[in-house]
Amino acid sequence: MTLNPVLATLIVVAIWFLVFVCLHIVGLRSRQDNAQWLVRSYAACSAAMLVSVVALSMWRDSGQTLLLSLLIAILTSACLFVLYVPAIYTILTSLSIATLTLLRRTGGHMPETSLYDRFATRGIIQQRLCVLVGAGYLIEDACGFSLTSRGRGLARAFAFIKRLWCLGPGG
Amino acid sequence: MKAIIFATATTIVLLVVVTIAFRFRQTAQRARQMTLIYLCCVMLSALTWLTTSVDLGFLARSLLIEPGWLDFSLMLFFFSSAFFGGALELYNLADRGFSLRILIDVEETDSPAVDAAWLVANYAGGNGLTWMYGKRIEGLLETKLVDRKAEMIELTSKGERAADVFFAGRRFLRLEPQS
Repeated sequence: MTLNPVLATLIVVAIWFLVFVCLHIVGLRSRQDNAQWLVRSYAACSAAMLVSVVALSMWRDSGQTLLLSLLIAILTSACLFVLYVPAIYTILTSLSIATLTLLRRTGGHMPETSLYDRFATRGIIQQRLCVLVGAGYLIEDACGFSLTSRGRGLARAFAFIKRLWCLGPGG
Repeated sequence: MKAIIFATATTIVLLVVVTIAFRFRQTAQRARQMTLIYLCCVMLSALTWLTTSVDLGFLARSLLIEPGWLDFSLMLFFFSSAFFGGALELYNLADRGFSLRILIDVEETDSPAVDAAWLVANYAGGNGLTWMYGKRIEGLLETKLVDRKAEMIELTSKGERAADVFFAGRRFLRLEPQS
């Protein structure tokens, strides 16, 4: 019995995506820079996945279904990636989840003012500013923080979406 | 290939309908509104998929995904990923993204540079950081993950279960104390 070429491609994609998730988690646990590690590990696993799909297609049918297999592989991997990244970033950076876990650590309850003292402070902003500087969206000089051209592009793109969807100040 | 074409077309339809809905039928529960539109689009794409030919009249045989159930499943997967990982996530980032809002505030200010103290007072178009965190607390109260009793914020039983899951996840990723 021969396996359907699309199913075989999906299995290859799933295996390489699993390898990526494992690599990413190992990197996070060993305190690698998250964004860089995420991109590098995904790029490496995607390249390996594409090579595997090409090799599989050549071996099975001399590349007759190569175009379809590549399209399916790239799209499926991209879909898995866009589902994985928000989930992991929610655990890493969400203030609501940080609030829930803090409450759990403190016996399930805390004065509301203490939560504000913890999460609505200059320290939280400072922490995010450092991340944004590290990601190349802001630069810091003697006057303070200002946008890089990359940061300005991203800010304008999202400001446009906010206006288009009438979302208000948000944040 | 039919799956890819249908998922792409349905995603475009979804984005157009969401934009129209957000602009002309505003509601406080936009995520729910988006999800309803998504479900309508799923039904529309399923109906269209079932009533059209396998090759759409122009696809070469080497571009067909067989059997049909696999093509249909892939269409639903691609479209659902475009919604949950794309459109809905874009909305979440645009409406609630903390870092993105900082970038927009820096972009919109007349001042050439800002500092943390300025952002604490002027975050989200002048609302300030206290307003932002108040929104998060209200969100947790609305979803019944926490309860407000006098001056205290308490985890509900639903909140405790969620906190346990997230705490375990954060601990596994070594973001929480390991004791």
